[in-house]
Amino acid sequence: MASTMRQPTLETLGLGSVLDIFRNGRLPATAESLVEEVFGPGNDRGSLVISGANGIVGAGKVMQLGSRLMPHGVRMVALDFPSAPDGIGAKYPGLVAAFGQANADAIMGNTVRMTYDGKHLPAELSSMKPRFLLEAIPEILDVKRAHYQLFNEAFPGIEIRSVTSGFPAKELGVGIAHPAFPHEINKIWETVEPGSGAIAKLLWATGLIPIPVGDAWSFILDVLFCGVTHAALMYHDDTNMPVWKIDKYVRKLIGPNPTRAHDAIGAAGANFLTWSCLHHLSETYGPLFKPTPSLEEKKATGQNWYPLNHFRPLVDWRLEGDESAKFSTYILGALFQMTSLMLSEDRGHLTHMNGIGELCAQFRSGILAVIRKAGADTVVNIVEDFHRHRPDVAGGAWYPEVFEKIGDPSWQQLYVNAEHDGTVGVITMARESYNHDVDAELNRAIDWLKAEGVLRVILTGDFHLSTQMVGADTSEFYPALEDAAAGMAVAGPWTRTARRLNDEFDISVGYLQGKRALGGMLELLLHCHYVVSHEGATFGFPEVTLPVVPGMEGCHWPFRKAKAEDRSRVLHMLLTGRMVKAADAVGWLIDFAGPAETAIAKAYAVASGGDHGLVRRELETGAMDGIPDVAGLPPAGSPGSEAARKAILDSVKASCGATLAEAAEIQARHSSEFMTSSFCRKGAIGTEYTKTMLI
Amino acid sequence: MTVPLMFPRARIPYGTWGSSYFPAWQTSALAEVNIGQFAGEAMNRILGMRGVRRSALDYLVIGSTIPWRWKFWNAPLVSACMGSRIPGCHVEQACATGLQAINVAANEVNWGSNDVVGVLTFDRTSDSPVGVFPERRAYERTQALADVWDNFGFDPATGGAMIACAGNGARKYKIDRREVDEITLYRYEQYFAAKESGFLDRVLVPLDILNVAGRFLGRIDDDLGVRKLDAATLAGMYELDTCVTGGSQTHASDGMACLLVTTEEKAKELSPRPEIEISFVGKTDIRTSPGLMPEAPHMAVRKLLGIVGMKLEDIAVLKNHNPFAVNDAVFAKEMDYDWRKMNNAGCPLVWGHPQGPTLTRVTIEALEEAVDLGGGYVLIFGCAAGDVGIAGLFKVSEGGK
Repeated sequence: MASTMRQPTLETLGLGSVLDIFRNGRLPATAESLVEEVFGPGNDRGSLVISGANGIVGAGKVMQLGSRLMPHGVRMVALDFPSAPDGIGAKYPGLVAAFGQANADAIMGNTVRMTYDGKHLPAELSSMKPRFLLEAIPEILDVKRAHYQLFNEAFPGIEIRSVTSGFPAKELGVGIAHPAFPHEINKIWETVEPGSGAIAKLLWATGLIPIPVGDAWSFILDVLFCGVTHAALMYHDDTNMPVWKIDKYVRKLIGPNPTRAHDAIGAAGANFLTWSCLHHLSETYGPLFKPTPSLEEKKATGQNWYPLNHFRPLVDWRLEGDESAKFSTYILGALFQMTSLMLSEDRGHLTHMNGIGELCAQFRSGILAVIRKAGADTVVNIVEDFHRHRPDVAGGAWYPEVFEKIGDPSWQQLYVNAEHDGTVGVITMARESYNHDVDAELNRAIDWLKAEGVLRVILTGDFHLSTQMVGADTSEFYPALEDAAAGMAVAGPWTRTARRLNDEFDISVGYLQGKRALGGMLELLLHCHYVVSHEGATFGFPEVTLPVVPGMEGCHWPFRKAKAEDRSRVLHMLLTGRMVKAADAVGWLIDFAGPAETAIAKAYAVASGGDHGLVRRELETGAMDGIPDVAGLPPAGSPGSEAARKAILDSVKASCGATLAEAAEIQARHSSEFMTSSFCRKGAIGTEYTKTMLI
Repeated sequence: MTVPLMFPRARIPYGTWGSSYFPAWQTSALAEVNIGQFAGEAMNRILGMRGVRRSALDYLVIGSTIPWRWKFWNAPLVSACMGSRIPGCHVEQACATGLQAINVAANEVNWGSNDVVGVLTFDRTSDSPVGVFPERRAYERTQALADVWDNFGFDPATGGAMIACAGNGARKYKIDRREVDEITLYRYEQYFAAKESGFLDRVLVPLDILNVAGRFLGRIDDDLGVRKLDAATLAGMYELDTCVTGGSQTHASDGMACLLVTTEEKAKELSPRPEIEISFVGKTDIRTSPGLMPEAPHMAVRKLLGIVGMKLEDIAVLKNHNPFAVNDAVFAKEMDYDWRKMNNAGCPLVWGHPQGPTLTRVTIEALEEAVDLGGGYVLIFGCAAGDVGIAGLFKVSEGGK
């Protein structure tokens, strides 16, 4: 009998659980089977039509879907007006950069571009056997409905999805596949699926990230993104602070810089979409969403939010005195209120609602994580304070009672879930970078499994939101740049959490399904007794390039598990930051690499005590000697990396030269001390810290 | 005493104003900016600090005297730099610009054309632009004119320099050098007393200037170039013309100053102290004989008091735009007035002379002083290029008194 801390997100797609994947030894769906379901068998394969194909969304999706469906023999039809500017051509250099000239040409060679007048489909289209229409035409309801009628009459039974950011499926009469910017690379799609959900499953099976959302006006991403823009503009209109400075403070407070994002996307289109989203929301939910005068003006003119280059801002603005509190109240108050509305309408899985902001709207922490950290009482107080500044928005769309459930597992495990079948547990991480929330949730997941009596565990991604494990969230290190004690306060607890995987389970298996495991996430995985990987994955310690010194035991733990003759490989990784392919890492860094289903089965076999054939590499607990010097390293490339190399080597020697019990504190101290160095302050993290926090 | 108002509908909302500091030319980051853009952004900042939404403004009167880049686009461009798209116009009359702009704004409100009018005056004397003028009748055929210094040095109507006017005035009115130095010293004492008391903090707003990369370039938080003087130093200064030394004349500076003019109702709505009412009583201009600019202010004041039927004794606050200390000496002598009773919180002689915003800052300081006194009449006056005098009279009342 399987148990789970909270609902696995895969279930929202009808794809079961992560535990099911390991128990079944295979993924729940394949691209080939879903392509066949949507586009027909190989001898009668239909095509995907993207209408509005030269627009920002349409062109991006021609590239993204074209590259993923071409291997399955699905032709792409890019349909637009004859007068539409060549948006696809504009994206082509990006396609070449991503796939190389030959592949890019093959993808474009698989794409047929057609034009039409909006009322009559080209006669040649039927020869392409359209089976799926992805509609990306302007946000005008009547025009969209007429467009669907045109296709339904010409191609009965065709699957239609709209990329709309605002209209619900019940208004459009078709399902939703709302993608996130930037459209050629962002994998997220908010979906409202009728029927079997084949399109959403197809997206998942081709490596994209469909997220089911409630069928309400404007979807989660747009409520958050348009919402934070709207909050910023309310503050702008009420206080005169220029948007460029508000952007900086919003970025410092929660992560996004909303008006800059509008300009980057293309102000004319983005301003209209934001206005359209807020306008429709305000018609349904009231004045909380009423577009501000400044947005009305920008919608009408299509002008950028930021000043023209020759009028780069001259007079700085600072939040002084109680202005900071007022600013936070506006931004967070509006977002909290909007979130209460989405929660009251049950618009999605909480992990999704939280993750969308991080993955698509630059939130450093998802909005639910922010709310959880603040606590229900504080959140309600902030919204009520916001209403004192803006009594006009107090009248509706405010559901404070939704925050009474913050203690529930669905709130408490936004990033980390745990499932078990009574014998084997699976801990899944839905976040690609490690932060304090993940750390706390991982500890709760471990506690839960132990309380359930499960002492065999697989640690892995969630097979949904997390497609790789990129390391520590570097914004967690900002305080450590000023204060070594703050660095210790990060490295110490995270190390203790990682050690639980080694110390508190009979068997722990780190399983990597995604593209790569780097830095802190790799350090975490390496604490498992076994590491099993998909063969296409890579591993690396890029810390030296940032530069920082690994602080989750990367400077001694992998040495303790490697044979003496292999330790120079580990050191080479640490000192160069170079990646190692999974197959090349077997035996000294990881324990197995293979095709997806083989690796999945292997991981479960190891965890369940089945016949797996792997030998557990022992962990050296005493002081080690003989850490090799690495000769012939390539140039470090910068004084920072040169300094980091020395600091990492010092950390390796000191922590390897100590016992396992002593090493945790030693390596954490090396890491935190280097964090306060000028090299780190001038490096990638320090630069980002200066840009984000010191404004 | 009841005096009819010149613009019965117009009011200045107390506390919605502000000025930058006036750093001496070439001493601050203001020497490196487009002053029109700076002024627009600074006014937006000041309004934000005063709790006034820029969207409250209907119209903008800008005042400046030195050409700035893109001045062709005038007030609409400056308002765009405020983040607002409102109409407006440009007013210019040398050092009288500030007071003229305030009155143009009052006229807009009084007539009902606009209800909330911004007055934004500014100038950058640093790196004065050079105009190149085709002059077919000149032997050079083309002449270049450095806007600030070439104009200061040459009045085309008289052929004389600005400083010569001060010397002419001193000689005509038999002004004594010792009195001029005494006035100068006292003016500096008044300024530093106001600064140390915190009075200027209610008028002047520190502003941080960014470079083109968005990084900190400089903080404008002082009237740079103003140093305490002593009697011996002043007495030892070389006389540039009769009674005029480097210490007893003003200096070029950069800056901006702004205020609002609006209706009685709106003034109550916008002001942090709605019980204070500031109204327009009168304003006039005169022009005196060639090269006698220092006598123009007292002539303008005499004319204005005659129009409104008042005496100097009726005035609570007097403030003179005095590029030369000689001006104060002439005014005191001709009006039989104790110069110690005027220019209480400082004056352009001390804090400099950016032209466009000079009389705006003078006005703001004088109105603040009147509020401290519990109300009364405020007389603003001064000279301007071309031997012109200007005077304006305001009434400050609190709670209807």
